[in-house]
Amino acid sequence: MADQSHGDSGIAGHLQYWTLKLDESNPFMQIHLDTMLVSIVVAGGMFIFALWLKGRLVEGAPTGAQNFMESVVGFIDQTVTDNFPVKNPLIAPLAFTVFCFIALVNTIDILPAFLLGNIAHMFDVEHFRPVPTNDLNLPAAMAMSVFVLVLYYEFKLKPVHFCKELVMEPFTSLVPVYLRPFVMPINLILKLVEEVAKPLSLSFRLFGNMFAGEVIFLLIAFLLLGGGAVGMAAGFFVGLAWTMFHLFIGLLQAFIFMILTVVYLSIAHQPVEH
Amino acid sequence: MSLDLTFIGQIVVFLTLVFLMKKYLYGPLADLMDARSTKIAQGLAAADAGKEAKAKAEAEITEQLKEARTKASEIIVAAEKRSAELNEESVIKARTEAQQIVDSARDEVNAELNRARQTLRNEVADIAMIAAEQVVEAELDAKRHAKLIDGIVSSGFGNA
Repeated sequence: MADQSHGDSGIAGHLQYWTLKLDESNPFMQIHLDTMLVSIVVAGGMFIFALWLKGRLVEGAPTGAQNFMESVVGFIDQTVTDNFPVKNPLIAPLAFTVFCFIALVNTIDILPAFLLGNIAHMFDVEHFRPVPTNDLNLPAAMAMSVFVLVLYYEFKLKPVHFCKELVMEPFTSLVPVYLRPFVMPINLILKLVEEVAKPLSLSFRLFGNMFAGEVIFLLIAFLLLGGGAVGMAAGFFVGLAWTMFHLFIGLLQAFIFMILTVVYLSIAHQPVEH
Repeated sequence: MSLDLTFIGQIVVFLTLVFLMKKYLYGPLADLMDARSTKIAQGLAAADAGKEAKAKAEAEITEQLKEARTKASEIIVAAEKRSAELNEESVIKARTEAQQIVDSARDEVNAELNRARQTLRNEVADIAMIAAEQVVEAELDAKRHAKLIDGIVSSGFGNA
């Protein structure tokens, strides 16, 4: 077990990325080609699907793909309008993209654990991680985009109020006036932690869930599939059960990421209370 | 497991995807759905307006029917009244006419009766003359004794 975990063919070996190192000495200067490839393929697929659907949109009663996408759009539109005090035309498409993209990418995880890896091996790629959400870079990139957007709207819609909140909350009103300059740095630190926690929790939640799911797939594969006929059968059914559960988790995480994006942005859009 | 250039790449991919989705999938779909809900709302409003108009027309029809019915019953009542009057008039007229007919018949009958009585009286006078001639076997001057005979006849056959 210990050998497997640390060996190149063990679980850890399957958790290696297909990496292009641009600068050996700097760990930042590398690209996970598998993450980029799969996410671009999925994004391209979504784009092609969008173009295909756009060409056959009908104004009358929708059918098939259009009907399905309309129900998704309607669902997200409803979520956004429920949470938003004002109308912002960017939020709903953003939430829609977040939801669909994460859901699709997460769904790749239900493919058999080694399938894409083995296909990649045929092309002389040593390591291949099929699910981009298992790479912290993708959730972090999305969370950071959302965070920057939140900051942008905070500064755009209520700059004075936001800056005041940064240094005045939560302790200022609790201390005497002469102590206020001293608590301001504490307020600022607390507030910064609060703000930074948003993208951190957003990205780590998705990454952690999907990563753990993949590790469990690998565990099932390593522990059960190697153990003879009974183990194979058990592994198949346990794997099937976990596949279904993981499919559900993938959808759930996509929904959570989407709804938190909407909620963070809606907080930024809340009108200032006097 | 650490952040690297993939992070930058993913930001680019994500933002591009957001832009593309907004432009090519979400935008058209949302526009279409908006257009459709507007259309449906208009259709429903039109249906409501039509229903309202129909209800109004029905109310109008009911009103007119009621009016017509009232008018008709009024007309019927008037006609019945008129016909009763006419009936009565005709009855009265008929009765009068019948009375007139009866009266004229009675006059005629009386005249006939008188004429017959006169004729009879004359005939009786003649018979009496003949009878008297035969009884007295004398020639009587009809002209001379006419007055006498008339007196006899009227005293003897006064009730004839």
